Amino acid sequence: MAGAVLSAAAVLGAQEAQPPILVSRQLAALERLAVGDIVELAADARGTNARPFRIVGIYEPTPDPMRLGSVPREVRLHLPDLLALTRDPAVPAGSEHVEAINVALADPGDAQQFARDVNARLPGLVARPTGAAGPDNPFIVIERFHLAIAVVTIVAATVFLLALTIMLVDERRETVGVLRLIGLPVRRILTQVLVEGVLIASAGALFGLALAAASQGLINRFFQWRYDTALIFVRVTPEVAATCVAIAVPLGAAATVAASWALLRRGALRLARR
Amino acid sequence: MTAGRRALAFAWRSLVRQPARATLGILGVAAVGALLFDMLLLSEGLVISMRGLLDRLDYDVRVTATDALPGTGPTIDGATGVAAAAAALPSVRSVTTLRIADAAFERGGLSTRGSLQGLGGTSTRRPWTLLRGQDVGGAGELVINEAGARQLGLGPGSSVTVRASCSDQREAAPPVAFRVAGVVAFPFDSPELVTAATTANSLAEACAGLGAEAADFLLVASKGDPTATVADIAALPFALRAFTNEQVIGRLEEGGFTYFRQISAVLTTVTVSFALLLITVLLTVSVNQRLGEIAALRALGFTRARASADIFAESALIVGLGGLLSLPLGVLLAEGLDRILKRMPGIPEQLHFFVFEPQALAVHGALLAATAVLAALYPMWIVARLPIAATLRNEVIS
Repeated sequence: MAGAVLSAAAVLGAQEAQPPILVSRQLAALERLAVGDIVELAADARGTNARPFRIVGIYEPTPDPMRLGSVPREVRLHLPDLLALTRDPAVPAGSEHVEAINVALADPGDAQQFARDVNARLPGLVARPTGAAGPDNPFIVIERFHLAIAVVTIVAATVFLLALTIMLVDERRETVGVLRLIGLPVRRILTQVLVEGVLIASAGALFGLALAAASQGLINRFFQWRYDTALIFVRVTPEVAATCVAIAVPLGAAATVAASWALLRRGALRLARR
Repeated sequence: MTAGRRALAFAWRSLVRQPARATLGILGVAAVGALLFDMLLLSEGLVISMRGLLDRLDYDVRVTATDALPGTGPTIDGATGVAAAAAALPSVRSVTTLRIADAAFERGGLSTRGSLQGLGGTSTRRPWTLLRGQDVGGAGELVINEAGARQLGLGPGSSVTVRASCSDQREAAPPVAFRVAGVVAFPFDSPELVTAATTANSLAEACAGLGAEAADFLLVASKGDPTATVADIAALPFALRAFTNEQVIGRLEEGGFTYFRQISAVLTTVTVSFALLLITVLLTVSVNQRLGEIAALRALGFTRARASADIFAESALIVGLGGLLSLPLGVLLAEGLDRILKRMPGIPEQLHFFVFEPQALAVHGALLAATAVLAALYPMWIVARLPIAATLRNEVIS
């Protein structure tokens, strides 16, 4: 028993001596690592100058859309530990380089000016505001691509909708003819058709939103599983929902009225004729 | 006239009798079909386009220091020796070393940033196409792409000052004057990215000797069997990784390329479901409106099979005509969507997201045919089960 305790104490003492690291969830799962494990890290594949580290936590990497498809097998070290591990023996301590420096400005609105100043005063450095999303930003481009596909889908849906409403209105030709014969003016019938169209389009839009809300979970889960990421691919926001309703309801109502208008231009007797 | 032709002729007359709804149905299928066609082109477009670009270079093996894709990992040290050893292999025709450094190009008051490639090795072939002037000859010469020539007003014979950044330390080397030998097109050029190339020795001079013996990767031309060349290079004592073009494509497919394939798969499914649902509704409503007419035809001697075949022929005509119309529409739409996606930074000018291949056309046809069949099933079932006497009676008394 004593030996076991001493051994555990010795291990505990050794563990406390190791610099701590965090391991990404994906790497931990791949290598079956757990908190408390001691692992050796080296700067090259041959394991030159490998050093022991203690895993103090497993973390979920911040989702990065730019790295979609590459599973983040990463560890996070304190900067001095990383420099000690990777420093070229010829490079004196304190003169190492870093790839990037993240700067939080007191006023984020100064980002453009700050980047301009750094670029002008420090040749060899490139400063970019992180919030800058120009027209060539990949996500703006992807958004535009999806918008174009949405427009084509809306055009196709509108054409089908017109075909359907023409058929449905045609089905009610006799009813409309009778209404005209008993004295209802065209405007009154059109108003009724418009209200019907708005109701049906609203119901359709709400059903579509419910379908989108239900499917967004499935789509997100599929892509998150496929790419092993916590990124969210589809999100039905209130703005998106409002845009959909704003397009679908007027379009549905307009299609109903347009189809009915063609019918109502005919004479009442011709409409009522069997 | 065969039964099939008779059914088609009858369905055609049904469509012509109601031109508005038939035209709208066909146009709807055309719009959906165009989107479907584009999604099929998108699913493999990047891969086909990238394969074409890699094959066009006439090198069929890439060699890197690690498993990272060419140009994204650590450099190969002692590249000259490695290239010589690789070139001596019996399966290798030629080897080119390629080192890429960030660089600032200056001329007069104009300045721009880009990359400077240094080529060495045993090959005389160049991975670019000469547009104007001459190829890189002696020391202190470079060739530059159209973007660089345009931004700095350069042409063959012009001078340009280069400040290269050749190490991770981001230390800019002293400015070096180069003479522009020619203007070239690099296969992976993007419209605004400035790229220039010179010899490995000239780049080493521009880098003030820093990493003079390094290369980002090697381009190897095999003697016809790239797989054997990969095995031969892997057996060299340099701990290098060699990939055939197909393996490079495979690596890319595992990465970001799959995003568009997944999007394409999702949109293809949605598009086909959308078309199926709408054509089914169109046909069903149409059949319901013509129940009396169909019952009369049945009473006149049309068999169940014949009446059902008419409905199927109607579905086939709407989907077939819409599908045919969708192809030119799809090509036009693909060009527009390709232009949108190519606005992403760093996308080579010659890379395309939507690339035609016969297989896409075959899948498009098969999916639309399946849609026509499935969409017709329910209305055909209605027609087949139609009670003739009851329907005619209802028609008379209603």
